[in-house]
Amino acid sequence: MILLLLATWIGLSLAEKRTERHSVSKDNLNNITYYGLIAFVIGGRVSFVLQNMPAFIKSPLGIISINPDIFDPLGALAAAIIVAFIYGQRRGLLFWNTLDALTPYFAILAIGIELSHLAAGTAFGKETDAAWGINLWNATRHPTQIYEALASLLIFLLVWLQKHNPRPGILFLTYAALTAASQLFTQAFRGDSTLILNGLRQEQIIAWVILAVIFILFEYRLREKI
Amino acid sequence: MQKNQRVILYILILIAGAAWIALSANTTDAVTNNTSAPQAGFAAPDFALKTSDGTEYTLSKLKGNAVLVNLWATWCPPCRAEMPAIEKMYQEYKDQGLVVLAVNMTYQDDLLAVVPFTKEFALTFPILLEETGDVASAYQLRSLPSSYFISRAGIIQEVVIGGPMSEALLRTRIEQILK
Repeated sequence: MILLLLATWIGLSLAEKRTERHSVSKDNLNNITYYGLIAFVIGGRVSFVLQNMPAFIKSPLGIISINPDIFDPLGALAAAIIVAFIYGQRRGLLFWNTLDALTPYFAILAIGIELSHLAAGTAFGKETDAAWGINLWNATRHPTQIYEALASLLIFLLVWLQKHNPRPGILFLTYAALTAASQLFTQAFRGDSTLILNGLRQEQIIAWVILAVIFILFEYRLREKI
Repeated sequence: MQKNQRVILYILILIAGAAWIALSANTTDAVTNNTSAPQAGFAAPDFALKTSDGTEYTLSKLKGNAVLVNLWATWCPPCRAEMPAIEKMYQEYKDQGLVVLAVNMTYQDDLLAVVPFTKEFALTFPILLEETGDVASAYQLRSLPSSYFISRAGIIQEVVIGGPMSEALLRTRIEQILK
């Protein structure tokens, strides 16, 4: 949790430095992130409750209990995206410009997420004999959390150092493509993958599909008249 | 870069990605449920512990039942706070195959306080005494209470570090492992 809060603070601070470049005000950037985070927390709780309604009908006070485990990350993400989108529409924010402005924040947050995985022992790697393996869960494993954190750091640096943005949205799509590609690569070393169709990793397939969609969006953005 | 060049690049990247997915398919690696570790997705580390009256419980012999292993101590306030909810869920689900093993960290607790604690909360599930620290070590105990929701196949489905767990959370986790 501390790592995520730190990543949020650092990511927002860095994103603020480049807001003018994307024609987004600092206030709007901070507000959209603030409302998004609130929606994330509340949405995660609401989503979990809705998915387990029978349990909460029998014990309604559980809805407001302090258990952090009463939380659905995907529901939280969906709520954050919806609220941020609504805020952006109401304030008349330019969609692609705002995504570009938020890209440094996303990149730093990704690093924070990977480091928090390392701290918690989640997102662990498969067993290995490699000299750089780490002892985790009673085996020597690929340090996939470190692989992914390093990949996220490299992606952040590539995004941060990119001076030229052909048009709004390209920076964000570049970040998203690099992230999808790194996930497609590093998931091969994970020990907790969901396996389908004779051993294929579901997470890699999802990353591949996302990458294909991003390529389509690249062409859409480059073709659109400004 | 021209559009045609970009499209060729996209296609090459996607082909390389598909090839990597196929190459890295997991057909021979050992799956996590053959390894024991105190983490969701792994087989629960086995143990054999006794209650205060000498009855022994071995976790591996409880396969076929859904098991909640709760690590606790009498001096731990969240442990005290969640015991009534655990007892209530045990009464509600024991006929469906739920077993609760409340493992007291006796090696860092007062053995004389355990029985009065059990009577105070009218607990009816087994209270196991961890007197050596071996089980705490096997479960890499970091905080009290710690709860492990174990499926009928002996695989940890969920780990909850800290507490107190609410009835609703207990109910959702227990219903998952009873499936």
